[in-house]
Amino acid sequence: MDNAASTATTSLYFAPEQITRVLFEGFASSAIYLFYIIGIAAIVVFCHGCYVQVRKYRRGAGDTASQAQIKDRLVAMVGTVLSHRTIKRRDTGAGHAHRLIFFGFVLLFIGTATITLEYDITARLFGFKFWYGDFYLWFSLVLDLAGVGLIAGMLYMMARRGWIKPPKLDYARPDREPGDPDFDRSGYRREDWAFLWALIIIAATGFVLEAARLVWLQDRPEVWTLRWWSPVGALLAEGMRAAGLGAEGAGSLRGGLWWFHGAIALVFIALIPRTKVKHIFTASGSLMFRDPLAAQRLPKTDPDAPSVGYAKITDLTWKHLLNLDACTKCGRCHEACPARAAGAPLSPRDVILSLREFANDALEKQSLPEEAKLDIHGKDVGQVFMETLWSCRTCMACVEICPVAVEHVPIIVQMRRKLVEEGQMEPLLQKTLQTIHKTGNSFGESKRKRAAWTKGLDFPVKDARKEPVDVLWFVGDYASFDPRNQKVTQGFARLLNQAGVNFGILYEGESNAGNDVRRVGEEGLYELLAENNIATLSSAGFKRIVTTDPHSFNTIKNEYPDFGGKYEIVHYTQMVLELIREGRLTPDRKLGYRTTYHDPCHLGRFNKEYDAPRALIEAVGCELVDMARSRDNSFCCGAGGGRIWIPDPVGKDKPAQIRMKEAAQIDGLEVFAVACPKDLTMFEDALKTTGNEGRFVVRELIELIEESMAPRQIAEEAVEAV
Amino acid sequence: MKILVPVKRIAALEEDFEIRDDGRDVDGDFINWDLNEWDDYSLETAMQIKEAAGGEPEVVVVTVGPDDAEEVLRKCLAKGADRAIRVWDDALEGADQLAIARVLAGVAKTEAPDLILAGVQSSDHSHGCTGIALSALLDMPHAAVVAAMTYSAGDAKVRVQRELEGGMLHAVDVSTPAVLTIQLGINTPRYASLRGIKQAAARPIEELSAADLGADFASASRVRRMYVPEKSRAQMIEGSPAEQAARIAEIIREATGA
Repeated sequence: MDNAASTATTSLYFAPEQITRVLFEGFASSAIYLFYIIGIAAIVVFCHGCYVQVRKYRRGAGDTASQAQIKDRLVAMVGTVLSHRTIKRRDTGAGHAHRLIFFGFVLLFIGTATITLEYDITARLFGFKFWYGDFYLWFSLVLDLAGVGLIAGMLYMMARRGWIKPPKLDYARPDREPGDPDFDRSGYRREDWAFLWALIIIAATGFVLEAARLVWLQDRPEVWTLRWWSPVGALLAEGMRAAGLGAEGAGSLRGGLWWFHGAIALVFIALIPRTKVKHIFTASGSLMFRDPLAAQRLPKTDPDAPSVGYAKITDLTWKHLLNLDACTKCGRCHEACPARAAGAPLSPRDVILSLREFANDALEKQSLPEEAKLDIHGKDVGQVFMETLWSCRTCMACVEICPVAVEHVPIIVQMRRKLVEEGQMEPLLQKTLQTIHKTGNSFGESKRKRAAWTKGLDFPVKDARKEPVDVLWFVGDYASFDPRNQKVTQGFARLLNQAGVNFGILYEGESNAGNDVRRVGEEGLYELLAENNIATLSSAGFKRIVTTDPHSFNTIKNEYPDFGGKYEIVHYTQMVLELIREGRLTPDRKLGYRTTYHDPCHLGRFNKEYDAPRALIEAVGCELVDMARSRDNSFCCGAGGGRIWIPDPVGKDKPAQIRMKEAAQIDGLEVFAVACPKDLTMFEDALKTTGNEGRFVVRELIELIEESMAPRQIAEEAVEAV
Repeated sequence: MKILVPVKRIAALEEDFEIRDDGRDVDGDFINWDLNEWDDYSLETAMQIKEAAGGEPEVVVVTVGPDDAEEVLRKCLAKGADRAIRVWDDALEGADQLAIARVLAGVAKTEAPDLILAGVQSSDHSHGCTGIALSALLDMPHAAVVAAMTYSAGDAKVRVQRELEGGMLHAVDVSTPAVLTIQLGINTPRYASLRGIKQAAARPIEELSAADLGADFASASRVRRMYVPEKSRAQMIEGSPAEQAARIAEIIREATGA
């Protein structure tokens, strides 16, 4: 009778050196040589594959910024990888399964490497052995558990691909038609399955091999008595014995299986750099060189460079080329993209995969192809359509959720820079850019009219260029010129005035902040706008800036510093919350509306302010009910990246309409609250076009705050009147 | 092969503006300067001929105007023009379209282009005659209001379709060298990126004085006054027919002073 529980004590009966595992026992020396030759060949193929990949990345442009703080980057990357923080987001099942696979694979790899370390290095060179005794026993147990984890994770992934079939894993492309030469993605599907099967077969044969070895060596007490330290192998061995397998039969099974297991494992290793398995390295590398402000602070261009943006595949930085290979086609970006959801010919995933296929085709060869074959714009295989690039709203949903730090938005904007340079854009967008150049605003209004909204106030608004103020209010185009938004703008002025804030504006000295112009890709115009604003700001005296516009907020906060404009800036939601907490504003009437809040991309995802607006909703006594997609998963209104200047195609639901329908699902919703001028415009429109007018209303938070304060004022006036 | 494209810096008025003290022009404070819209199309026409011929034909833009007018030339350079010429003389201040045409004719004589592509008119003064006057001064054939054209660099004639009233087109073959005035909509003008415009700032602009050209640039007309006419009024009279009639009678009495 064997007793599994007593194995630890049983080990005391054997000399520790006895307790280890046979490696090449029963092999002719020629077979061992053959194995080493195959092993070395696999390593050579692996190394050559790595060389080809590295050469490909090195064919990209330089990116010095990413090379700073290597140590911090490494620590952060290891933390992300070990915690699986990014992989489990919005897909817990896949996160857990990947964790099992990852740790299983890592442990099995370390295990195999340990054996090699002892057998081929320390024992051979120094006569030092350590792979025996208790170490060996624990080693067997851990590796068995690792194998179980690996197989369990793989089985879940198979079930996911085969039965659960989440839509994000459907590789159908929105930017190509069936029949196009690069529409078919079945190659990727085959690779996915080959990967799953290869790993599961390697792990499963490992277990069967272990069991066969146990049965084969069942007469050796130091093997058989301690077999439960390899629980899975022991269980299978019991099964084999029950099925009538004897020691001899097990020995020959072991011989055959040994080669099979070894061969697939070595082929697997050899192919790592040439298959999706390379994400082990590329995803880690991509995470390591992650830019935390990738979409918030777009790269500057060299004003003297002969060309600008990404025209050729070699214009991509090595980091962006690495990004392309890091993509694991997990589809999170595909799922999150508002343009894709609205039926536009864009999926961030497919932009990345197109470019990856292009890079693999063009840059993996011995020498670079001729210049003309490096053009990534166009309608050919692997090229990215102009319509695809113009569909992007730069809302950052893709960059935010990408588990491996792919920078879709900067890549798309870099490609747009090229399109702008060549004038390949919607005529209306072209006209708007010219208008902004001419008048400094996208409405084509005279500069003089920028502050016309102040005429509706019963107090003067200071000109910050003429007298110092505490708070400089950067108003922004929509808040200044759009008639509906002007009411909100006046409301915010009244709030500031009531709270006794010493504030001022720049009057006609303010220009469009340039956030969206930059995201369109018109870098020259952006520079002009940013430089104009910075010059005006530097002539004004103030302590900090406030704005109601998250777009202006983002570019002033994150991008102006690159042009010499370093300012403290807050969004109005942060400032109003501060004023309420200081008791300078008192919203004392509880409104009690059932309210949902739409996180503006540029305030939420871009600048991680999710709580101040929600605290304001609470402060005015509204009941907040978040939509399914909120905070970092907020669904863009469709106006970003200059898309507010480009008409959306008719006949399809626009992103704002999709969002309205989402909000309409909230039972008894009364108020759809926003904190962004463009949101107000987009959603008031969508409220009407989705037939929700009359069911609930779209309100700026400023309006809710004013409403909650209004009765007291009226009450006080009434008292005075008496 | 050379194409000369005369361009003008035009004045775009702000919504509210004031007339200059001398009453003969708008106060400069209320003007946004820009490239004349028609000239955008004539330059694009030239650029397309140039590109179709593999870039060999030279596109030369010329303007008559003070220092500030250079900005429109830079925009043209950013769009791909090869050379830019600016002609000015203080005596040209307030010059009329004939004087401008005379200066341009002087430039054309030096440059000897195969084709001159002007805009139909300028969007500020709208005389619509500078191009035509130029053809007369150069004794070249012309076609006005060209809405479509077929021409390859070096052709002996240019086939044009002129826009007539009533939606008709007038197909005409004009032998070159010739002066064409280009209508809006003939093509889609390209975008001049700000980067392109900035880079064009470093490119030279040839400056000539009217004296260099030895041209006689006397104006044949003089602006007396520029003004906004008093607005006529219109109002909707509502109410019953009797009330409407009474109101009309009242208005007539007011107007006739009865």
